[in-house]
Amino acid sequence: MTTVQPQDIAAGPPLLEVDDLRVEFDTYGGSVKAVRGVSFSVAAGKTLAIVGESGCGKSVTVQTLMGLTPMPPGRITSGRARLRGVDILGRTEIGGREIRGREIGMIFQDPMTSLNPTMTIGRQIAETLEVHRGWSRKRALDRAVELLDMARIPEAAQRANQYPFEFSGGMLQRAMIAVAIACEPAILIADEPTTALDVTIQAQVLDLLSDLQRDIGTAIILITHDLGVVARMADDVVVMYAGQVAEQGSVEDVFYRSAHPYMLGLRAAMPSNSSDRRHRLLPIEGSPPDLFSPPTGCAYAARCPHAMRICSTTDPGAFSLGGGHTARCWLHGDKAPRVPQLAYAGAAPGLKA
Amino acid sequence: MWRYTLKRLIQGIITVWFIATATFLAMHAVPGDPMSGDRAVSAEIRKNLEAKYGLDKPLSQQYVIYLGNLARGDFGISFTQQNREVNDIIREHFPVSATLGILAIVFASLGGILWGALTALYRNKLPDIVIMFFVILGISVPSFVFAAVGQLALVKLNDLLGFSLLPVAGWGTVSHMLVPSLVLGLGTMAYLTRLMRSSMLEIINSDYLRTARAKGLPATRIFTRHQLRNAILPVVTVLGPSIAGITTGSFVVESVFAIPGLGRYFVQAVQQLDYTVIMGTTVFFGSFLVLMVIIVDLLYGFIDPRVRLA
Ligand SMILES: Nc1ncnc2c1ncn2[C@@H]1O[C@H](COP(=O)(O)OP(=O)(O)OP(=O)(O)O)[C@@H](O)[C@H]1O
Ligand code: SF4
Ligand SMILES: [Mg+2]
Repeated sequence: MTTVQPQDIAAGPPLLEVDDLRVEFDTYGGSVKAVRGVSFSVAAGKTLAIVGESGCGKSVTVQTLMGLTPMPPGRITSGRARLRGVDILGRTEIGGREIRGREIGMIFQDPMTSLNPTMTIGRQIAETLEVHRGWSRKRALDRAVELLDMARIPEAAQRANQYPFEFSGGMLQRAMIAVAIACEPAILIADEPTTALDVTIQAQVLDLLSDLQRDIGTAIILITHDLGVVARMADDVVVMYAGQVAEQGSVEDVFYRSAHPYMLGLRAAMPSNSSDRRHRLLPIEGSPPDLFSPPTGCAYAARCPHAMRICSTTDPGAFSLGGGHTARCWLHGDKAPRVPQLAYAGAAPGLKA
Repeated sequence: MWRYTLKRLIQGIITVWFIATATFLAMHAVPGDPMSGDRAVSAEIRKNLEAKYGLDKPLSQQYVIYLGNLARGDFGISFTQQNREVNDIIREHFPVSATLGILAIVFASLGGILWGALTALYRNKLPDIVIMFFVILGISVPSFVFAAVGQLALVKLNDLLGFSLLPVAGWGTVSHMLVPSLVLGLGTMAYLTRLMRSSMLEIINSDYLRTARAKGLPATRIFTRHQLRNAILPVVTVLGPSIAGITTGSFVVESVFAIPGLGRYFVQAVQQLDYTVIMGTTVFFGSFLVLMVIIVDLLYGFIDPRVRLA
């Protein structure tokens, strides 16, 4: 029995809680510290976006939750992940329900290669229902057609009998979504679901995701490079840098009250459709640190325009700005100079999380 | 699919014509002829024989007659075996070769798929290392060595047991067929094992296998429905050409195990420069191989929907 705390009732207990997750890969060159203490939570029916540049550990984080990280070479060195309060790391089922496919569905970046080329689309959807719900082949196939229809594939009944090579990229991604939501999972993980699609199709797929979310009430973890997609889809945002969470909070907080220089950098690098003609895209100079031997101080120090002496020697840890908004940056310390573009906790700076 | 089949058949016929022409030219380019063997014949008899077989006519005319006969399926009469039609020789001895070859292919493909799947499952572990050692052996050692070693091993085995477990040579019963077809299939089996292993490993890292895992399917189902079937595809594509390898291997194996197959006749005919038998069997083997490759390709279409429906 767990005692229910009053504040849990007020906020509603999070559906998924990830706490200090650390993942390393053993390679010939040493161990790659791909995920270095990531914590976040996902509320039921909400969308959490994970952003950050290539190689910062987004995919490894979510694949580890799904048990898809190959071990070896991968290794979870610490951390927990709880779904409805129950540990899921290293397990395949909780309370008799499979985690993969049933509690958590997942779609991937490249729809063209993510489906089995020699099995019909309908069978690939039905298979999940047969395995997790014990349905007959016939019943599962009927449902597969309905799911394709829900995924807005025209002529779903005929389409179900076709093979992946007969589908376009956008339709394949919709079929993938149908596969992933077949068992109405509590969480849908979408790892860059639109990166491989062209722009008009991207919008359709994103619309589909949010409509399905409303209909079946699934939470979504959306990984993307595209801040425009984040602004449009997400309730909460996790900004990752070099295997850590640089900043996290509600989408309003992270976008409009950015508290980490990395997030400021990302925003400056993002094309905007403002009429401000002087707005120029500013790429973030330099590259992320070597994950074989990450720096002892702030991971962003080498690229940060506001870096101070302490930054390169001591890890800042997460500072809380209130309302679940945190930033891993020394600028929120008591004695740090104020950076005009940056948001700070209330009037009084320096509340350590 | 029908268009495709028709296209392949026409291509096949052109290939066979090419084989026939090349054989004809090669035959007439080698020095000597059937009459210039050990038993010298007088000039007069030689002239008569040449007239009988049409060898006195100009080459171009011979070629036209030859193609005409081929088109009617008439391979002519053997030079060295009196009054024996090449067609009869083929009819009598080809079934033996075919049985041997089919058994060898069955051994090779079943073995290749099984060992290949096993090595992939136990990648870099002991079973993989042991099997891959034999695979390298199988690929690098020519079939006549296997044939000789296989036969020798059989002799020793029977000696050791004190009775004849399996016959050392000859043909007739299933027990005659086992060792020769195994020996014949070994090289191909080794090759297919390696192919199967690499295609299995490629698929283990494929996106769609990750999807299958993300769907929470049981490991056995992922293996059979998603991995195995796709991994077999490349193996099926090379089955056609493998049949060619097995056919050439059968010439040796049939000789070593004294099997009355067509391959043995072919080798004999070459030694005796028996024009009609050489040309007949070559064209026959050629057409057979071409047909096999076409059949395998069509079969592939049935397994791979991308080909079937395209
Ligand atoms: N199997 C593996 N073996 C070794 N290193 C790995 C393995 N998988 C991931 N990594 C390393 O982990 C780090 C994080 O990779 P990850 O795929 O999570 O990045 P990402 O944030 O998803 O990037 P992208 O935006 O390019 O998808 C990378 O440095 C990568 O090299
Ligand atoms: S801790 Fe220092 S280096 Fe890191 S982001 Fe903040 S100011 Fe920049
Ligand atoms: Mg990724």
